[in-house]
Amino acid sequence: MIELTVNGEKRQTDVSPDMPLLWVLRDEFGITGPKYGCGIAQCGACTVHINGVAVRSCQARIGELGGAKVLTIEGLGAQSLHAVQRAWIDHQVPQCGYCQTGQIMQAAALLDKTPKPTDEDIDMAMSGNLCRCGTYVRIRAAIHAAAEKL
Amino acid sequence: MRKALLIALLLAPSAAIPVVMSLAADVTPASEMPATGSIGKTEGLAAWKRVEAVLTHPRCANCHVGPDNIPIWTVAGEKKSRPHGMNIHAGESRIGAETIACSTCHMTSTAPNKLAHAPPHVGLDWQLAPVDFVWYGKSGAEICAQLKDPQRNGGRDATGLVEHLRHDADVNGFIPWAWNPGGGRETPPGTFEDHVKDVAMWGAAGQPCPE
Repeated sequence: MIELTVNGEKRQTDVSPDMPLLWVLRDEFGITGPKYGCGIAQCGACTVHINGVAVRSCQARIGELGGAKVLTIEGLGAQSLHAVQRAWIDHQVPQCGYCQTGQIMQAAALLDKTPKPTDEDIDMAMSGNLCRCGTYVRIRAAIHAAAEKL
Repeated sequence: MRKALLIALLLAPSAAIPVVMSLAADVTPASEMPATGSIGKTEGLAAWKRVEAVLTHPRCANCHVGPDNIPIWTVAGEKKSRPHGMNIHAGESRIGAETIACSTCHMTSTAPNKLAHAPPHVGLDWQLAPVDFVWYGKSGAEICAQLKDPQRNGGRDATGLVEHLRHDADVNGFIPWAWNPGGGRETPPGTFEDHVKDVAMWGAAGQPCPE
């Protein structure tokens, strides 16, 4: 049995230790904010925080996450919307929306480490999160706006 | 410094790692060093040439980059190297702490690397080697001079370098992984054990370097 904390709640699972966290979140725990995009950490749609660090959950094996604290988009805005989420709404960032939970989790992790990021910082931190709708300009603007609110 | 030197070799299938580890448990670095002076300069230089072929291989050199802190990619099936995709910049921290951590994609895991094009992982936290240990784009003579200089090799003598290789194998680190990278990636010449033997021979010969 593997125990971990997801969005502040203790969870247990007895799935195969090889199962990626993304599968556990979506299929075992019913937490569907993190999305499956590529399965090989090339797109960023599955991004969650593990112990405060943005991680591609498709690459994290559940058997190596015992005791970990996992935060998904559902937990990020559980009490009140995170500044990044508010900025996303203000700037109407999403188009289709599929990649956006990963984008927001990556952006929130960036602002945790770098509260006032430059354009270059944003480009470096966000380049692993792909958006086929091309919302990158609005993503950058929203991150700057969120940084002003934090 | 010492931890970062564990990236002596970067970018290789995993079934061999348990074999390496079992060997590592039975061998002490000092015992596998030929007696000092028992290896002549010519033989030592020949051993160095084999070491050099490993260290300059993309699996090893791609994360031994300079102060631009940008790791290099050599994609499976391709010969040409290029800057790591996704605009990755590891920062002065050399672990991407400033913007996006290496560990965002490169897990710390002892599981085999199976997926093609997925980010590889080892039993240590992913990182660039210290900037003093730059190998990418350097000549064999330059790398040799760096590797024998305790000021630029993590304070190691010849035995210490062999010890470093064995320790890295004990923790499923970067070095044995180079020969077992998974995902269709090319491997350096020889085997991990060949490499340990060559480093020991080069050391016993007084660490001779090419002109």
